[in-house]
Amino acid sequence: MSTEQTLAVETRDLACTYMSGATSVAALDGVTLTVRRGEFVAVMGPSGSGKSTLLNVIAGLERPTSGWVRVDGEDLAALNEAGLAGHRSKRVGMVFQAFNLLPRYRVVDNVALPLIFAGVPRAERTARARALLDRLGMSSRAEHRTNELSGGELQRAAIARALVGGPAILLADEPTGNLDSANGAALIALLDELNRGGQTVLLVTHDGSIARHAGRIMHLRDGKVLD
Amino acid sequence: MRLGDLAAMSLGNYARSRLRSALTTAGVAIGTALVVLLIALATGAENNVRRSIFSIGDLRLVTVQPFQPGANGLSAVPRTIDDGVVSQFRKIGHVAGVYRQFDAPLGQVVEGGDDAAIRPQGIEPNAPIDRGDLLAGRHLALGDRGVAVIPGNIARLVAPNVTAAIGKLVTLRIGGAVRLGSTRVGGSGTPRDYPVTIVGVFDEAASQTSVRIPLEDALVAGADNRGLTADSLRQQTGYSGIAIEADDSTNVAEIVRSVQELGYSSFSLKQVVEQIDQGFGVFRGILAGIGGVALLVAAIGIANTMVMSVLERTREIGILKAVGAAPGDVRALFLAEAAYVGIVGGVLGLLLGYLGGQVIERIIRELNPRTNPAPIFVVGPDLVLGALGLAILVALVAGFLPARRAMRMSALSALRYE
Repeated sequence: MSTEQTLAVETRDLACTYMSGATSVAALDGVTLTVRRGEFVAVMGPSGSGKSTLLNVIAGLERPTSGWVRVDGEDLAALNEAGLAGHRSKRVGMVFQAFNLLPRYRVVDNVALPLIFAGVPRAERTARARALLDRLGMSSRAEHRTNELSGGELQRAAIARALVGGPAILLADEPTGNLDSANGAALIALLDELNRGGQTVLLVTHDGSIARHAGRIMHLRDGKVLD
Repeated sequence: MRLGDLAAMSLGNYARSRLRSALTTAGVAIGTALVVLLIALATGAENNVRRSIFSIGDLRLVTVQPFQPGANGLSAVPRTIDDGVVSQFRKIGHVAGVYRQFDAPLGQVVEGGDDAAIRPQGIEPNAPIDRGDLLAGRHLALGDRGVAVIPGNIARLVAPNVTAAIGKLVTLRIGGAVRLGSTRVGGSGTPRDYPVTIVGVFDEAASQTSVRIPLEDALVAGADNRGLTADSLRQQTGYSGIAIEADDSTNVAEIVRSVQELGYSSFSLKQVVEQIDQGFGVFRGILAGIGGVALLVAAIGIANTMVMSVLERTREIGILKAVGAAPGDVRALFLAEAAYVGIVGGVLGLLLGYLGGQVIERIIRELNPRTNPAPIFVVGPDLVLGALGLAILVALVAGFLPARRAMRMSALSALRYE
């Protein structure tokens, strides 16, 4: 197997600079990292260390100022806006601290949402969403609206949505940030289980007790990788 | 994104904020209804006028008058039409027939009494005015002399009915004074009597006083009246008018131009119809413009609603983009939502405009039962399609900028939007 195929994510000298008034702020300052397939990597750092920016760049929501990033072998710099949208619907799945589900849709429709933009027919979308909810122990909640769900259930639904496209990598940005400790622990257990099933996971957190579950921990500070 | 999904998803968005969508749609419906109503009114009026013109005459006909066209219609100068000119008319392209006419002095059918005053028209066989309007007998034919085709009202003065008039020998007294209605007209010259056989009776709807006689007879009567010979009359006075028939109505304008180049003024219904068409085009344009203003107001309403909708759904747009919606998908979603406003508003507006026209028409007929029976409002298939297309177009144009705004929104800042 070539390195191309064994690497889920590869970045080289990633830099992201913002203008804040007259001063420029470097959110990322030369980040080089690789995530192999099947790995569970946690990126740790205090707030403002650039860890969310790193995740957004890998997700194709943000373009780096310099350096490059490859996800599943694809160089994101070569993609236009529509190409990046395709990247988000096929190669990566995102889980946010704020869940970001659409309250007016049923849970199953929320989970199936990314498949709409990938052009998957309705029947297949629903079948895949239901199968995934079943796997995550959420099948009883499939027909509910999101406002009838608890925080832990919302985040499980969000993970189902992130996984429905069969992404090369699951990107989780502080997924336990809005959960109590019991639900947080359950969620990490779920990520662990998914990883053991072969899912590559890149988790961003400032919480060391959560990062411990990852196979590898990277520390980020002021936009730079430590050690 | 599949078209079916786009349609279903945007329909959901359209139906979600019911009151707001309903109000915006109502705006489009009212604008469309006004456009439909006003154009239907203009079309009805135009149809009415055109119908009455078509019943008057043939659109292939160009009538040449013995005048030289002046700078305006009032300053026309008399100009003789002799046989030389007629042969020039025959050479004009696309001319299917040239028919000379000579009007003899006013006269009377003696057997009909004082009410039988006539205008004898000397015409050639198959002249456009002597076609297809017979009540009995036949039209003038080649080689006829001493015959006449007379209107039904005069036939009934000289015989019990129109059929009985056929073959009857009557006396045309041409020249001198005649009574027209209640007034006596001092005619020209000394009256002379000419015996003629009635060969045909035409429907007096065309004319109650015209008597159609062979051209040569009319020329002789005219010459007798003025103490000339028929040939010198042809040269000096010329014909009263020439009817030129085009091979097709589309060539009428060309023939009219040629006649004018020869120095004669002419008249054609076709040109009148064209002028009427032009006039109605302007009329219709003005009415459509009034309706258009209503649609413009509706468009501003749509744009406003869409801007609000984009703003309200900022976070949703961010989520859609984060899970893989392409910029074009987002734009399509909002444009499709605007299109729904146009489609629903357009259909409702069509119904409203059509039914409104029916109601107004009924009220008008109720108030004035003697109103012309032709429809006042005419909604044709082109108006239906046009109005619907216009409503959708207006909605799409109004939705374009808000949709573009949604498309260009950064996914990250949209996700952070509260």
